[in-house]
Amino acid sequence: MKSRVIVITSGKGGVGKTTTTANLGTALAMMGKKVIMIDTDIGLRNLDVVMGLENRIVFDIVDAVNGHCKLKQALIKDKRFDGLYLLPAAQTKDKTAVSPHQMKNMTNELRKDFDFILVDCPAGIEQGFKNAIAGADKAVVVATPEVSSVRDADRIIGLLEAAGLTETKLIINRIRSKMVKRGDMMDISDIIDILAIELLGVVPEDEAIVVSTNRGEPAVLENVSRAGAAYRRIARRLTGEEVPMYSLDDPENIMDKFKKMLKLAR
Amino acid sequence: MSTAFKQASGGMLIDLKAYNTFSQMKKGLEKKLTSVTELPIGSKVSIDIGKKILSNKQVRELEDTLLDFGMHLDGLMSGRMPDLEEDFYEDPLIEGMSHYDDTALICQHIRSGQKKFVQGNVVVLGDINPGAEVVAGGNILVMGSLRGLAHAGVFGDEGAIIAAYRLIPTQLRIATHITRPPDGERNVVDYPEIARIREGRVIIEKLKI
Repeated sequence: MKSRVIVITSGKGGVGKTTTTANLGTALAMMGKKVIMIDTDIGLRNLDVVMGLENRIVFDIVDAVNGHCKLKQALIKDKRFDGLYLLPAAQTKDKTAVSPHQMKNMTNELRKDFDFILVDCPAGIEQGFKNAIAGADKAVVVATPEVSSVRDADRIIGLLEAAGLTETKLIINRIRSKMVKRGDMMDISDIIDILAIELLGVVPEDEAIVVSTNRGEPAVLENVSRAGAAYRRIARRLTGEEVPMYSLDDPENIMDKFKKMLKLAR
Repeated sequence: MSTAFKQASGGMLIDLKAYNTFSQMKKGLEKKLTSVTELPIGSKVSIDIGKKILSNKQVRELEDTLLDFGMHLDGLMSGRMPDLEEDFYEDPLIEGMSHYDDTALICQHIRSGQKKFVQGNVVVLGDINPGAEVVAGGNILVMGSLRGLAHAGVFGDEGAIIAAYRLIPTQLRIATHITRPPDGERNVVDYPEIARIREGRVIIEKLKI
């Protein structure tokens, strides 16, 4: 299989880029793919913490691109899956420590060894963003159902197109079906109307994400997490599989229906 | 061990050659001065320290001891040239700890993304948070919680130590050794701990002083 470099970006901060990267990376590794996740948020790294690999960091992306160590030395093998690796960002440097040209060379070198190269992009549209998209051939834009997030996603899609990345897909994160049904939250179709790109998946709001993030165990590892299940489906779509879209009915609603049925039976 | 008073030309000579450490030497001097009462106030005294070498501070301490007994230090007699000497220091508080002359004091919390580098020892009055790094040529002492990364003996000193009021690091490095806490385990202790290399491994134990 030809290896793919996918940048995960959003423009706005806090919408779930890092969570998405960690979960998709882990889900792809669960499927037996060779995956490397690159954290390009130099100075504000998080992906290592979310993956629970923070205490293994010895060398980072800045050491690797500047030749302080070999690229292979900077890669951290995941503690759960053999085919999963992390290239952590530096924490004591800033975004200018790496150039887009260096990023491009590095992702090209990684293509030899990995099926999927997931690049976790920092928030914003400055140097960090330019670094992150430099070596990518596809982009995944994460947006939450909020006007500000959708506005920023639109800006990002424009910048990606200008940089020659036309194959951009959308993940809508943290959707609450009850609020959507009440009309209090933007609908999926509203968002797609505005952004006009292909929908890759919808991830429901899930408290399990907070728990798993704090524990350093991606939610896809848990069978009960609904967000984790959504990420597993998105990962299958990334490999080219046809997977039906997430249904907005959450388990509580199903339970309610069940209760109603019981009441009716009485 | 004997501390002998000898008549030397123009003054007194005290022989402190036999003592191995500075603290023993100082105690020996005090003992001798207490036992001898016939010396007139204001006498000039020379001290023979044999093959040892003393720091300026230690010489001043000997002077102070003599002044307590009403005597002045006339001179030090040493058998070796100072530039060839082995270091002679006070007994370290922690056994086997490496000695460094310069110590930096950092009075602040060191936060994520901050990196401190010190040639010799470093004492941190504050915490080292996750994502922060403290790198020292010598020993590291944290009078707070060490939650981030500390690297002692960065130039290769395997005798360097890392001590902290609460030692809960992301990663510890001493010389070329790198360690991290085991996955999943979190053993919480409420006493200061010290990390050092023993038999080629970094070990952590309760800090006893």
